[in-house]
Amino acid sequence: MKALENQNLRNPKDERLQVAAAQGDPARFAELYENNFERVYAYVARRVQNREEAQDVTADVFHQALAGLPRFEWRGLPFVAWLLGIAANVLSDRWQRFARQREIVTDDLEQVSVEEDLEQRAMLYQLVETLPDDQRRVIIRRFVSQRSLREIATELGRSEGAIKQLQLRALQNLRDRIRSNHG
Amino acid sequence: MASISLADQLADAIERMIAEPDSAPPRADLKIGELLGIAAELRLLPAPEFRAALKTELLVQRRAVAVPTHIDIRQQASQRRPSRRDARPHEILPTLFAAGDGSYPVHRENFVISATIHAALIVAVATAGFWMTTPPQLTPHATSVLQTDLGAYELPASIDKSGGGGGGGDRDKLAESRGSLPRFAREQVTPPAIVVRNGEPKLPAEPTVVGQPALTIPPTSQIGNPLSAVLQPLSDGTGSGGGIGSGSGGGIGTGQGPGVGPGHGGGIGGGAYRVGGGVSAPRPIYDPDPEYSEQARQAKYQGAVVLWVVVGPDGRPRDIRVQRSLGMGLDEKAIEAVKQWRFEPAMKNGQPVPVQVNIEVNFRLY
Repeated sequence: MKALENQNLRNPKDERLQVAAAQGDPARFAELYENNFERVYAYVARRVQNREEAQDVTADVFHQALAGLPRFEWRGLPFVAWLLGIAANVLSDRWQRFARQREIVTDDLEQVSVEEDLEQRAMLYQLVETLPDDQRRVIIRRFVSQRSLREIATELGRSEGAIKQLQLRALQNLRDRIRSNHG
Repeated sequence: MASISLADQLADAIERMIAEPDSAPPRADLKIGELLGIAAELRLLPAPEFRAALKTELLVQRRAVAVPTHIDIRQQASQRRPSRRDARPHEILPTLFAAGDGSYPVHRENFVISATIHAALIVAVATAGFWMTTPPQLTPHATSVLQTDLGAYELPASIDKSGGGGGGGDRDKLAESRGSLPRFAREQVTPPAIVVRNGEPKLPAEPTVVGQPALTIPPTSQIGNPLSAVLQPLSDGTGSGGGIGSGSGGGIGTGQGPGVGPGHGGGIGGGAYRVGGGVSAPRPIYDPDPEYSEQARQAKYQGAVVLWVVVGPDGRPRDIRVQRSLGMGLDEKAIEAVKQWRFEPAMKNGQPVPVQVNIEVNFRLY
């Protein structure tokens, strides 16, 4: 549902109004954050392949975006393109600072596009929040906390087999919802 | 049972994927292949608490004004305790600044313009009493009246200087002849005469003129006007009303009344004529109104000033004295104006003569 709502908010007119509102009142930035968090995180996570680092970079991106929002000028591109441009710069600075031989992201603000797989990953992250509580708890513990099935079973007071079933149903649910959203 | 085996297969594949993240994706059944792809993406799923914590950080950052680059908001927040002084206006007056309401941004310049317009309107309404209505202005008006009725304004008696005069005659064709003055008395019973018309009066009385009885002049054999150059023939003069001279009223000389000289009303010494008895009133031909003094205008003081004025034969006022004072600079203003007056002089027997008149100058605010 949330993914669907966000799809509706991709209306450029609505998004432009949201940006203008946030420029007038920074408190309204929260709406832009909610609508674009998963996309920015997915973009960063794909490039750093590490959750901790992806979260640090994502935090940097949104802090800089909030600080630079008064200077933002609408150029017809989605707002997320501006955010991804900031993300590209943050990643570039970060890699240069740590002298790591990684793929240098050369995307600039104009060239950054919202890729299809980026949308799918962002949607997947959003759909996790829409799962039933027991399924969501298993997915979070399994993939974010990286607990074993046994640990999860002990923690939730369920059998290991039940946890396996919940894991299977959760993934099937996510698959079905992705299909329906693409439908 | 099939579903259990599918769950087990998926669990094993995920276990291997998590244990060896850099290895190639495990070969799996087509049924779980798609689910494994989703699971692979979930390995980088952000922590739910991170999403909420970052949102909270951003809400704190928005309170920091003019942050050029990212700073550690958590550290800053721990060092600073937010005070009311740091709060933005929309945090103090959320309704006024429409914080959190509506889909459109709040333009503060519009608020400033609105506040300015409202302030101007309030000032305009508050001061409307000054610029919408004209307060009644008390306009000073001054008018002057030439008074020919002198009864109410008698001059006080002078201690060391006398005046007055008189005149007479019996309408003779000749000017009066020279002679000595008769005796002075306080009251006149019989006017003096050079040519006695009634030689045998039933009740004879000594001819006198009105003046100080103590005033004595060496007598001669002939009564007459001491200033006359005519010795003969004897004549009482061209005046009227008895007496000697060209005046009237039983005295001697050119004046009026029972005295001696060009004056009037008795006594001796001359003086200005008064209107009446053959003396016409001077007629003002240029009589500008006086100005109101600032002091009297502010005090809304009004009244009348009476001036004692002698209008000379040339029509110019002189010897201006204040008969009735008003004060507050109005006396001076009245004198200043009357000095500019010009008259058609008083006439006596076709000749311009000086005449004493009173001028009432009225100062009114209305």
